[in-house]
Formats: sequence, structure tokens, C-alpha cells
Amino acid sequence: MSYITGPDVVKYACTCGLLKPIPQLYFCKHCLQIRCRFCVCHEVDSIFCGKCSENIPSAEARVKKNRCANCFICPSCQQELSTRIASKGPANPDDAKSPIKKTYYLSCYFCRWSSRDVGIPDQPSATGGWPERENVHINRLQEVLDTYKQIMHSEKQQKESDKRKQRGKFVSYTDKTGVTASALRKRIGLPDIPHAMLKKPKPPEPAVAKAEVDELPESIFTEPIKLMEVTTIEQRLMQPECQPLTVDKLFPVHKQLSIKQSLRCRTCEHNVSKPEYNPNSVKFKIQLLAYCYIPEVRFVTVEPLRAGQTVELIIKFTNPTQYQTTITILDLDLDEQAQYVEEQKLIDLTQNLEQALSLQEKQPMSLPSLPYSSGSQPSSLLSLPRLPSVIVKPRKIFTETNCDVAIPESSFILPPRDDAAEYDDSSEVHNFEDDPKLIKWRKSNKAFVKLAVTPRADLKLGDEVVCGFTMQHIYTNVLPPAVENKQPQKYDHKVRVFLTLGKVVGSE
Amino acid sequence: MPLYETLSTEKLIVVLDIGTAFTKFGFTSEFAPRYIIRSEVRCKKTNSLRRICDYNSPEDLYDLLVEFIHTIYFKYALTSPKDRPIVIVESLLCPTLFRETLAKVLFLQYEVSSILVLPSHLVALASLAIDTALVIDVGYKEAVTIPICYGLPIVQAWQALPLGGEYIHYNLKNLLSNCNTGIQNLSETVLEDIKIRCCFVTKSSRAKQLNLAKSEIVPPPDVKYPYAGAETLLVAGKIREKVFEIMYEEDNDHLCLSTMILDAILKVDIDLRQKLAENLVLIGGTVMTLGFKARLKEELQKQLLNERYQILNIKEFRFHSPPCKENYAAWLGGAIYGATDFLSMKAVSKDFYLREKHLPDWINLKDVTNMKLPDYTTRVL
Repeated sequence: MSYITGPDVVKYACTCGLLKPIPQLYFCKHCLQIRCRFCVCHEVDSIFCGKCSENIPSAEARVKKNRCANCFICPSCQQELSTRIASKGPANPDDAKSPIKKTYYLSCYFCRWSSRDVGIPDQPSATGGWPERENVHINRLQEVLDTYKQIMHSEKQQKESDKRKQRGKFVSYTDKTGVTASALRKRIGLPDIPHAMLKKPKPPEPAVAKAEVDELPESIFTEPIKLMEVTTIEQRLMQPECQPLTVDKLFPVHKQLSIKQSLRCRTCEHNVSKPEYNPNSVKFKIQLLAYCYIPEVRFVTVEPLRAGQTVELIIKFTNPTQYQTTITILDLDLDEQAQYVEEQKLIDLTQNLEQALSLQEKQPMSLPSLPYSSGSQPSSLLSLPRLPSVIVKPRKIFTETNCDVAIPESSFILPPRDDAAEYDDSSEVHNFEDDPKLIKWRKSNKAFVKLAVTPRADLKLGDEVVCGFTMQHIYTNVLPPAVENKQPQKYDHKVRVFLTLGKVVGSE
Repeated sequence: MPLYETLSTEKLIVVLDIGTAFTKFGFTSEFAPRYIIRSEVRCKKTNSLRRICDYNSPEDLYDLLVEFIHTIYFKYALTSPKDRPIVIVESLLCPTLFRETLAKVLFLQYEVSSILVLPSHLVALASLAIDTALVIDVGYKEAVTIPICYGLPIVQAWQALPLGGEYIHYNLKNLLSNCNTGIQNLSETVLEDIKIRCCFVTKSSRAKQLNLAKSEIVPPPDVKYPYAGAETLLVAGKIREKVFEIMYEEDNDHLCLSTMILDAILKVDIDLRQKLAENLVLIGGTVMTLGFKARLKEELQKQLLNERYQILNIKEFRFHSPPCKENYAAWLGGAIYGATDFLSMKAVSKDFYLREKHLPDWINLKDVTNMKLPDYTTRVL
């Protein structure tokens, strides 16, 4: 992003209580609140390979273990590998016309590792057929897993049938007569086979412990080690299955796929950011960035800061929207925010109480084991309907302000953004009645504002001076296409802005 | 969520084993983790890497975990965590603050549908298909031994000592700065790399000689380790051999790795002792060091002669070799457990968490007395 971010001098308070510079904030048009990365719901939008820029459907990505089938990274330095051609002589040296046979190998341009180093034979085709390494224990582990699955399955069925028996109102015929099913079977001469459900699956063959252990090789005491031939921990962990100890066992690793994320507001479930599907495109379908909707504050200059002395601070306001806005600077009311945090907690509590109450009412109807009401039915567990999000609890803003801002009495107007204005040389005439004490200068959609700030008297030399104020601006909502009343709706929106002014300097 | 994903029957379920140094991440019913990554996140303010275990406050830990889980899901798993179950493998001695914060992050920030928490010592036996063993987990921060008998962890017999990768690094740092003048602050990564590539656990017979002023043994060859671009660190042969010796140096309470294991055996019922001694399972990254197992066997045998352990009457120690690398043995157990119906039967659901506001734990009396709660230490077998 070609946005000048610089040091984070000006920070905006997100609704969730975190302070972030404006490029990192989103503005949900539907709930008219600022959101940030922390308080939105992240979702995987599309999966692609970063090297070949190919979109991969999520089902396919899953089969390929989230790795690209064609691109490899270097097992030595983790950079991307390139396929290189090696031409062998013609198949038939006597026949000049016979085609030259081409073979391919993988090579790293950064560390000069190549697939030939580890003895992987050159491949006849450029795209594939690279040998894969298999887990040597796979058969045993699969066997163990299958038996465990069976055991758990039968246990579960047992539980369910127990439940059914308890609830059964009707006594079975054999129970009444005292003849059990197995006795009946014996009487009529059928072999006694236990019920399919009662049959216990055979447990897997347990592993056998050995008294012998791998001894330390004697050679380690005499032979010098070659550092270049021993793998580093990163190289080992790149291949978790085999974790090779020496470099000659390194195998090329498939490249990890990347994702495009879409972000969703948790309160209203609307997207605040949704990228385009094409991996080559850097554009977005929906992009509700805060710096497109909220006036931007930039720090221009400040007089040397001295404890207890009032100095002049100049900041620049820019209106990024297509609509005129009015900005009022208000006192930074942190108590109000704290109150909001408490309110949200209270709402959360009451909701929980209601939820608990409603659950209690439902209890006689549901299954006896309520704690795993969703657990007793795994199908419902896996296909839960889309539940509304839990809203991230806002926190208190922690930043300490140690500088007072004299709140100006008047407010000022910012004209809409006009992209052509930059090329317009004719001197601008504004008809705004500006308060000369407040506005120093203005140009197109920008205004330079003078504020009087006083760092607190108890500040020491070298302390960071932080001041803050609440900026109220008029946000013009164009989202619901105003059919009935042609006027777009206007809202007052408040943002808390924090400025780090610099350090206290010594007195004159 | 794309349409075809909802049509496919099985969902990918993440299995996570968050260690102090490395986090093992993968999916259920797979036999190796997809990634083993460092448990650290980049701090936004200072732009430096911070380890998760270095948190200063509960809020700080919450933020670190939010960031870390985000990387796991959106960089490696490539799925949304929302409305999916997750399997967490953790030590039985995991701090309550950590597990509660992790549950809070997963349920409230990432809205997972349920969490299945599995004790690492127990599930490590899943891949071996045995139900009684003495599990010794030597990780980064500490070495923890918990006996598992017939599928139940005997928690009262637990033993732990701060003998892990961290202590080895500390020792290595001291030894290296003694022998290389002018080099003081070696970073953790350099120390780890030297440890991994150069050091090993020596034999018991040589270890005795190491501490003598006049030793008859020839030290192994020195290694010149390239450091900070132009410099070279001299990793003397003696250091290579000596670094791991602190594991067997008895402290003031006469405790070391080998006594810890024997103490754990002493604390269980007399009938089980022999069986435990014949089923030793070593897990954790540190046990993968060259010569670790051989030396541990020698040391255990040596300690048996000690008067303290005469009553044990153990003849032989037997070691299991798991069908995987030791550093992800616990994770593999989690992946196996998570693939069965155990997940749907025992997981802590979101409803339950929102109502009770905590994760059931073996240490919490409220959970232990209330049998309706998901049984924390149940087993498959």
C-alpha cells in the first residue's frame, strides 16, 4: 500500500478499545462503528499458490495437504526451487537426426542446492513425478487408528443402547418369560453368538519394549563433524515426518498455499473486506477501510514542549469522502468509554442469564446428559447451523494522556474531496466562515487547525507527551439507496484520537 | 464457506500441541504434524519476536494467543476456526491461567464449536497401543514424569525437574563464554543450533573421567562454528561432550533425571513397579539427542545400586520406540484420539463453556465431584 504510514504518531481508538493508526482500521457502514483486525471475524476466502498464482479449490487443497502440487521450496534455505533443464546427448549418437533428450531437475538459485545433490534422478517431464517420501510407520499406525475407531464406535453404540433400554416402556417378551435370547438359541440348537454390538473389537497388538537402545556411535569421539553436512533445526522441522539429520537426506518440499481473507463484522455479519477471487488481482470487492470514511488527522508541527506551558499544535484534517462534513473537537471522555465497556459486560451477563434460563426450561425435553447435548449427536456437532458470532468484549483504553487540550468553541467545515482540485490552479474561494483562531489555512478538502495544548506540570524531562481528543464528524451514509427520501442520511460519528507529540524538552 | 466444503462429509479438525519452544500443528487422522513451528509471535509494537511463554499479564497472554492462533489457522491450516472442533494436547501440569486463557481465546475470539483437551502423557501411548507405561517428557522448560497405569495417569506420582532444553542452553552459554573470550550474549537460536548440530550425550564411563583434573580420555574433535558473519566460535570437544551432563548431576536434594524416574516408580503401587520399569516411553524434543537413551539406561541402572532404590527390586529397564519422532509423539496421540468418536463424546462444547465459564480440569474439585462433566482423564482402551 502506497500509504504513508510512518511512525504511528496519530492513533485512533477502535470500538474494541485498541489504539491503532488509521490504515489498520475498518469502518463498518452498517453499524457505523470502527472495527479492527482484533474485533472482526476472519474467514478464508480463497486459496492459491503464491508462486504459480493458481487458484486452488478448497477441496483440492485439502487433498493435497494445503500444498501446491507443482511448486517446491528448497529444503535447505526455504526459498523457491526452480526447474532446470539438462539436456542429454541424443538417444542414438550415430543418428544425427534423433532428438535430444531433455531431463529436468530442481535447483535453488539462492543456496545452489539441487535435487541432484541428494541423488534424486532427473525427471523426463518438467511438471512432476518427483519422488515422495512415505512414512515408514504408516501401516502400523493405520491399524492402530482403525481399531481405536472401532472400539470407540462400539462404546458409543453401547451407551446409546443403554439409554434406549432405560427409556423403553415395553418389556420385551423374552424378559417376561425369563428366557433370554441366548438361552432360546441354545434350546433350538443354534450356535450362541453374542450380539453384534456387544462384540468387542480386538485391541491392536501392543508394542513391545526392548532392553536394547541405540548406542552412541563410537566414531563420534574420534571423527570431526562437518558442520555443513548436519542439518539445522529449521531444516529438520521442515519435514516433520522424517526429520533428517544429515543434508543428504533432504527432499524438496511442496510449497505451502496461501489464502485471501475476508473480514466480517461480528455485530452485523456484513463483510468489511472481501478480496477479488483472482490471485493476481490486488483489488477488493468490498473494502471498508476507515481512511476512506473517517477524516484523517495528521500531525504537522508543535512548538517545543515544556511542562506546564501552553504551546501551539497544528494538525491537519483531511476529508476523504465525497460529502461535506463538519468537524467538532470535543473533550476526550474516557469515562464514557469505560462506561460503554461496563455496559457491554452487563449485556453479556444478562444474555447469558437468559440463555441459562432458557436452557433450564428446555432441560426436561432434551437428553439426560445435557453437558454433551451436542456431543451425543456428532452429526449435529459437525453440521451446526451458522450461529451468530460472539462479540469480542471491548476493553478500556489504557493510554494515559498527560497533556491538556484546550477545546475550541467552534466547529469547522471540511469540503468534499475533489480529485480534480489538485490540477485546478485557479485560486480557491471558500465561503466558509472560519474562526481565525482555529483555522490556520485551508486547501480543497484539507484544513490546518491550531490547538493549544498544555503538557502537565509534573512531567519530567524526556517524558513522552500524549494528548487526546474526541473528533465528532458528520458521516453521510449512502448505503441504503435512499428511495423514499432522496437525501442520504447523516450521522454524527465520534472517534477518539490520540497524538504522540514528542518529548518534553528543558526550560529555556 | 464455499458450497463444496459443506457437502464433503468430514471436516478438517486441527490438533494443536503448544509447547514452550515449539508448537506441533496438524489435523486428526494424519500421522505426522503438518508443521512444527516456534511458539512465538511478532510483537506489533516493538517488531520483535516474543515467545508465548514470556507473557507479563493475563491480558498480554490473551493477545499473544490471539495472534498465534490466527497465524496457525490462516497461515498454516487455511481454514476458518469458526464452528469447528479443535483438539488440544497439553501437559497435565499446564498452568490454569494458560489453559483458561487458551479456552477463552478459542471460544470467544475464534468461536470454535468444541475443544477436546487431552493430557499429553496419556495420549503419547496411543500410537504404541499399550496402556501401562512410565512416560518421561523432556521438553524445553522441564522434564516431567507421570506413570500411566491401565490407561489412567497416576497424577500423585508425578515428578518434575527444570531439566530441559532451556537449562542445557544456559549451561552451554556459560561453557562457551568461558572458552571463547569476548563472547558473552549468545542468542537462544545460536545456542540451540550448536546444541543440535554439535553436542551429544556421552557414555557413563567417559562422564566420570570428564570431571577429573587428569583424565585419560581423548576429547572428541573441536568444532569451529561460524558466528556473526566473520567470527568463529570454538566449540571445544569437551564442551560438546559435557553439556548434557547437568541432567545427571544430582542437586542438593540428590535429584536428577534418573532419580526422578525412579522416584516416580517408587510412588506407585508395588505390583505395578516392575511393569512400569519394563515400559519406559521417552517423549519430547530433548530426548532426540544422540546417545540420550543409552545414557539414561546406564544411569538408571547405576542408581538402582543406590540404597534408596534397593527396595524397588528392578532387574531390567525396557524402552519403547514409538512409531514416530519423539518430539511429536504426544501430538500423534492427539491426532489418533481426535479421529475417533471420542471427540464428539468428550469434547467441551461451546454451550457448556459459555454456561460454566471455565474448562473442566482434574485439579478443580468442582469438576472432579461433578461426574456429569466430561471426564478429563479418560482413555480409549
